[in-house]
Amino acid sequence: MRETFSNKLLDIASANSKVLLLSGDHGYGLFNSLRQEKPSQFINMGVAEQNMVGVAAGLSRVGFRPIVYGLSAFIPIRVLEQIKLDVCHDNLPVIFIGDGAGFVYSHLGTSHQSTEDIAVTRAIPNLIILSPGDRFELERCMNLAYDSSLPVYLRLGKADRGDVHSKRLSFDLGDLITLKNSERERKVSIIATGSMLEMGMKLCKSFPSLGLVSVPSLKPINKNQVSELCKSNDCLITLEEHSVFGGLGSIFCEIASSFSNIEIHKIGIQDRFSEYCGTYEYLLQEHKIDLESLKAEIASIL
Amino acid sequence: MSSAKNLIPKKIRRNILDMAFSGSTVHIGCALCLVEIFSVIYRNHLRYDYTKPDDPNRDFLILSKGHGVMAQYACMKELGWLKDSDLLNYFSDGTKLKGLSDSRVRGLEVTSGSLGHGLSVGVGIALGNKISQTKQKTFIIVGDGELNEGSCWEAIQFAGHHALSNICMIVDKNNFQAMDKTSNIINQQNLATQIEAFNFNVTEVDGHNEDDLDNAINDLFSLQNNKPSCIVANTIKGKGVSFMENKNDWHYLRLDKALYEQALLELE
Repeated sequence: MRETFSNKLLDIASANSKVLLLSGDHGYGLFNSLRQEKPSQFINMGVAEQNMVGVAAGLSRVGFRPIVYGLSAFIPIRVLEQIKLDVCHDNLPVIFIGDGAGFVYSHLGTSHQSTEDIAVTRAIPNLIILSPGDRFELERCMNLAYDSSLPVYLRLGKADRGDVHSKRLSFDLGDLITLKNSERERKVSIIATGSMLEMGMKLCKSFPSLGLVSVPSLKPINKNQVSELCKSNDCLITLEEHSVFGGLGSIFCEIASSFSNIEIHKIGIQDRFSEYCGTYEYLLQEHKIDLESLKAEIASIL
Repeated sequence: MSSAKNLIPKKIRRNILDMAFSGSTVHIGCALCLVEIFSVIYRNHLRYDYTKPDDPNRDFLILSKGHGVMAQYACMKELGWLKDSDLLNYFSDGTKLKGLSDSRVRGLEVTSGSLGHGLSVGVGIALGNKISQTKQKTFIIVGDGELNEGSCWEAIQFAGHHALSNICMIVDKNNFQAMDKTSNIINQQNLATQIEAFNFNVTEVDGHNEDDLDNAINDLFSLQNNKPSCIVANTIKGKGVSFMENKNDWHYLRLDKALYEQALLELE
């Protein structure tokens, strides 16, 4: 997924000299090819994220296409007001890449973990929020982000979980991607975003009758497709490496509540910070969103 | 006839008072201290098309200290970008001119007032213009109180490091901020020296002396040593109205009819 990111970035930058990658002194190794082939299109802005976003806004006002890269604990969390006022208020074409979302930096602790970013960015008008689940979704999301010429937050979570899709995708902003329909009499589908899509695949192996839907575009989201999903299922289980407040689960509940009584179970991170240090898998266990915990929870739902 | 020649400080101050009285607004002192800074920049330095305030080839004038926006509106009225009715209906329901700078108003560049934003946006504009090798300049007005914001210093160090010589930052040093004297809150000793240390050319002038401001801008841009420019403009909060000068309550007080008329008398 990271290789796809680097390659796609280089493609975008090579096609338009006005594309500038701004990094807040992050992205070790990630920008080697860009820095080698298009050195003038990479600017290390230093450990100064507020200025980075303001500068990106200024650059976009004079014809540039800034891509702002940071860890999602900082971009967007630390610079929320700059994103709101400097960029989104004027609908400027700035792409924000928030890398390492969720518990990727499991050993580093709360300062580098980001489980509230979807909730807070969702409430900012004009901001598109994308959350790809594998390299194919990522490539499409990067195209959509660039082609939109609008403010975009691209949330990148755990990137080494492998492919879910098997070929290039052509979804549009807002589209849900149905990978599998529920085969049970009582129709139950997992709705997953980002890193939890691959987890959803694993759960479908344990519970073959489950349906599986990916949501790479959290905002906008196609309400008709959500409505269809609610009609064709009896129960939805949303799955995200993000707080249960304000993320994917909330999005589905908000939309469904106006027309449906469908049962929705929101699975994500409860209202707490990480207590312990450990591997990524360990942190998932701590927050009960590892495979075994999820199997138990889904078994109880079924 | 609208023209930059109309940008006469007394007239601009009267416009500010008209707005402040019509809208019963606060932040009057914050605007009165900016008058000569705006008049000199609009009249003598900023290159722009009167008929198209958003012309892409313009120089940029950014009010990072959004609380002084009435001074900019007052100038925009003289430039023909606002009408008398815009000033006299200030703060009426459904009108566009807000109490802080808002980028959606034609002629204003940034949304500010939450402080510490405009400087970075201006630095980004200047960086873009440097990369594109245009001759466009960016003037950015910040408040001395605003320099409490860490983001300002992020922008200052970046502008210095990247040798953004197409920037002129003007610090409106009126020595007050919302609640008190700046020296009682975060004392900024030797502000000029501090900014100079970030690789800026810095000049300190009387911010109400148009000739001095004019000369300072010319001198700084003529240095040609690849540094951004900064003018520390020593100003008086509430300048031009005796009962407002250095009276920080006029950050928040509103004009009644008697005081409005008294203030106008001082500006005849």
